[in-house]
Amino acid sequence: MSFLVIMSLLNGLTLAALLFITASGLTLSFSLMRVVNLTHGALYMAGGFIGLSVINLTGGWLLALLAGGGVMAVIALLEEKFLLRWARGNDLIETLISLSVAIIIGDLVLVIWGGYPKTIEIPAMLSGIWTIPVIDMVYPIFRIFMLGLAILIIVALWFFLKKTNLGITIRAGVDNFEMVSALGINVRRLFTIVFCLSGFLAGVAGVVGGTFMMLVVGEDWRILTLTLIVIIIGGMGSLGGTIVGALITGLIYSFATAYIPEFSLFILFLPVAVILSIRPQGLFGKKV
Amino acid sequence: MQFSHLPKTVVLLSSLAILVAVPWIASDYFVMMCIRVMYFGMLTLSLCFLAGELGVVSLMQASFFGISGYFIAILQTRYQISFPIPPLVGIGVAVLFAALTGLLVIRVRGIYFLMLTLVLGQLVWALASQWASVTRGDSGITDIFAPVIFGISTEKSKGAFYFFELFFFCGVIYFLAALKRSPFGLMLRGIRESESRMAMLGYPVSLLRYMAFIFTAFVAAMGGVFFAYFTGLINPHSVSLTTNVETLLSAILGGIQTLFGAILGTAILKILDVVLSGITQRYLLIMGILFLITIMFAPKGAAGALKRLWDSVVSRVFGSAAPAKGATDDSFLEDTK
Repeated sequence: MSFLVIMSLLNGLTLAALLFITASGLTLSFSLMRVVNLTHGALYMAGGFIGLSVINLTGGWLLALLAGGGVMAVIALLEEKFLLRWARGNDLIETLISLSVAIIIGDLVLVIWGGYPKTIEIPAMLSGIWTIPVIDMVYPIFRIFMLGLAILIIVALWFFLKKTNLGITIRAGVDNFEMVSALGINVRRLFTIVFCLSGFLAGVAGVVGGTFMMLVVGEDWRILTLTLIVIIIGGMGSLGGTIVGALITGLIYSFATAYIPEFSLFILFLPVAVILSIRPQGLFGKKV
Repeated sequence: MQFSHLPKTVVLLSSLAILVAVPWIASDYFVMMCIRVMYFGMLTLSLCFLAGELGVVSLMQASFFGISGYFIAILQTRYQISFPIPPLVGIGVAVLFAALTGLLVIRVRGIYFLMLTLVLGQLVWALASQWASVTRGDSGITDIFAPVIFGISTEKSKGAFYFFELFFFCGVIYFLAALKRSPFGLMLRGIRESESRMAMLGYPVSLLRYMAFIFTAFVAAMGGVFFAYFTGLINPHSVSLTTNVETLLSAILGGIQTLFGAILGTAILKILDVVLSGITQRYLLIMGILFLITIMFAPKGAAGALKRLWDSVVSRVFGSAAPAKGATDDSFLEDTK
């Protein structure tokens, strides 16, 4: 295998890790509330910029990660409580509301942080390169850390959804929403929690993504597009589907960037078209 | 009912007369504004038709608008092909692209439709911005000249361009109005109300949805032709999500249900655009807030309010002849529940 192939493979995996973190939150809130939260990309970008400001103030990368996630969780909370709840029950209106919030956040980010591309500095502990044995190739440690972080989030989400009471309730809500509310569970609270969690994951992904790529206005829609493609390919509401979708999207995007840069995004039309014509509900999605 | 047709015809004819008179009675600036409203209006019309007749919200209509514009630009500036061919090819390619993507989008409904069209629209935008060797990337293609028609250069004379556009604009309006009234339009509304029932009655539901999608792509592509010719340049912004959202906002501002609403909404937004760009750079922010407010508080739009006013005027003048048919047309916002 040539150098470029291995490099694209590794880059694809790290991008897939990032996409998984973004898409997992979106798919969770989507499958529960039937709302495509189009604010997700904006939350990613705003989270990244907040992380940038925090790191400039304090210098702590982990703190920046938590701040980015935390602030976005709060914004998601406010959006859910004051805007989306207003139109609850009409999923089209809710989705359009989230679209308008995304535009507002996108422009506010431009006002606050300006239009020039910025990057978050890689923390000292995670900077540097690692020589991969056997093939004798160097690769940034931070990207390997990203893979680890994604796996950690997969395990944590899996544990949360399978083992905790709250997670089990959420999964039940995904499967049969009416039944859960009929059992007397406070569904509104459930929505809010999932929406917050989703916002938190978007913010975290923003800080991570801002560290290994760059933060610039417009990135919100690029990430949202990639995230929606992940969900279309993987299917709604399935964690496994999100992992597979992220891997497919990440790898295709990364190889296309290396070999046919002019079509790196457009080429993703292919998997979307193929999957939709064979399985309209996505690889792991349930029939709706 | 007979009575309520009479004022409609009068209004239609007199508004047509006013439209024809515009270049003589109005300033150049107003003529230019009308030209802009007409080509963006065609884009909004295509979205409105889909939303009103099929009950789906598309976020990729600007792709067809932009594709025809890009093809005109490329054929004219790179290959020096003369007038009638570039727009015909442009519209043809846009319709072909709709035929291709239509196969995918007719399979999904409701918010899935919105999501999928958003993704497809973004992929077209990515192509326009990344395929720099053909589209010249983010700076776009400039120096597209409007054609010479009957010996008059529409590039030099704004009035001539206005008539050139008005002719096709009225054609598009007539086309859509005829479609709405035709059995085809009735079938579409049937699908919107109850797809399963229409399917059970033996109507080719998927084919009808597919055809409606292609028709609207044709209308949007028509707008793109005049956009490219009038502005003289095309860049990825014309196929961006911002353009798509502006179109949606125009449609909602004016009201999804009527063709008139689409034009009214476009005019409101374009006037706002001009006013705001003079005083602030926060156009997107204001547009977002306006969008949020409209969606939350007046999802039926300004045309809905005007229509109610019109109906009440008609009923006052002609007794109780006011058509109470609004109820059947209002289900767009409820039918996704």
